[in-house]
Amino acid sequence: MATNVPERSKPQLDSTTLAMMFADARLPVGGHVTSSGLEPALRAGLTKRLVPDYMLSRAGSVSLVEAGVAVMARRIALSCDGLALSRELETLEEAWAARTPSQELRNVSRSLARGYLRLAGHLWPDDHAIALCNSKARNTSRSVAIGVIAAVAGLDAQSLVRLSVYDDAQTIASAMLKLEPLDPTITVGWVMDSCLSVEPVVGSLSQISNIDAIPASGAPQIEEWAELHSLTTKRLFRA
Amino acid sequence: MPENRNTRSLRLGIAGPVGVGKSSLIATICRAMADELQLGVITNDIYTDEDARFLRSAGVLAPERIRAVETGACPHTAIRDDITMNLIAVEDLERDFEKLDIVLIESGGDNLTATFSPALVDAQIFVLDVAGGGDVARKGGPGIARADLLVVNKTDLAQYVGVDVDRMVADATAAREGRSVLALSRTDENSVAELRLWLLDLLDQHISGSHVPQDPGPMAPHFHADEEGGFVHSHEDTDSNNQPHNHIHNH
Repeated sequence: MATNVPERSKPQLDSTTLAMMFADARLPVGGHVTSSGLEPALRAGLTKRLVPDYMLSRAGSVSLVEAGVAVMARRIALSCDGLALSRELETLEEAWAARTPSQELRNVSRSLARGYLRLAGHLWPDDHAIALCNSKARNTSRSVAIGVIAAVAGLDAQSLVRLSVYDDAQTIASAMLKLEPLDPTITVGWVMDSCLSVEPVVGSLSQISNIDAIPASGAPQIEEWAELHSLTTKRLFRA
Repeated sequence: MPENRNTRSLRLGIAGPVGVGKSSLIATICRAMADELQLGVITNDIYTDEDARFLRSAGVLAPERIRAVETGACPHTAIRDDITMNLIAVEDLERDFEKLDIVLIESGGDNLTATFSPALVDAQIFVLDVAGGGDVARKGGPGIARADLLVVNKTDLAQYVGVDVDRMVADATAAREGRSVLALSRTDENSVAELRLWLLDLLDQHISGSHVPQDPGPMAPHFHADEEGGFVHSHEDTDSNNQPHNHIHNH
């Protein structure tokens, strides 16, 4: 690993504040356009009763893959610079793509990443890692973008994992209120359950140090729903 | 004369309720001006991609210059509080087509309080149509009152819906305290010509740096107290040196 990492000497916010900021739907990154696959699932026939199970199954599969990628991106951004940074992130993107067979989901992730990178580019205009991700802005995935931003902002790895899981669950909860409205206090309970369900693995996932350790559980049904949804023109959410 | 010349494209928002003819207005503008200006269009559909498809099939602009942004059921959010996705789309379009004169951004049809953020657009046109009711203009709202231009559209239908166009324009002008109102029909060549002139004039002001983007709302003029007794803050009272727009109305 290279050691010539630029000093990030600007004062940094505490991890808790950062996590709150990035989890907040009001963060200007265009997050409101996605439903984390809820709309595709409902359109394909998932019943309302099964939505909390859908949320939980994502928490244990897709979210952990994304969280693992983010953790590795953070690690790489903290320890690499220059050519090594570029190469390592490239390899990481390939590992993410290999775990995300759906072309549509890859496209959506990259589109969302641009919102984050646009914000980060303004907040940290001199940061090399962010500039690198932004220069290939059309190809950086969301998890890699968030991981690199975590490194720059000073967000710790455990918070990063929790943030990934929470954000995915909350996106579903918010979309649920638009698609199949119910008492919103119920969806809050679902989100808490999803976050609790991954607590046993937060510690170990936050400490992975090589790309092969990134979870690789697939969710073929979710991928199929995403692909079907991409062909629909009458929809509220892109994914 | 102001030193700063604007080399970035003029970003023009088109707002207004569902069905007033925003897409059609954009097609009319493209038809009238695509030969003399480099244009681009961003559409914000809510539920379909129909606006984008309509524009492409109208054949008034090369399809690759028309891009759709999905707003996830929040059309007002995407043009005002979180403009990220639209801004990225506009910046991409400007980068892909080196010299764009005007980028038109069509909002998803929404309620009368939805207006564009001045961080996304340099100016905005608010569209109403005669079939939506002659009294809407009088009721007002931020877009109706303070958009750079109010278009009263589909004037050719007025006779069928019992609307007096002159009256509606007069009501609108009063609600707008004299700001520009244009009575338009795509079948009325004179009105289209006036629209074109208004756009060219706006473009000139933008390029010369004398146009200052204004936020139409949502706040009505309000009072700020200070040591000297206070002042009324309204969105038109800014330190700008832009000329008042000319009245444009049909007879």
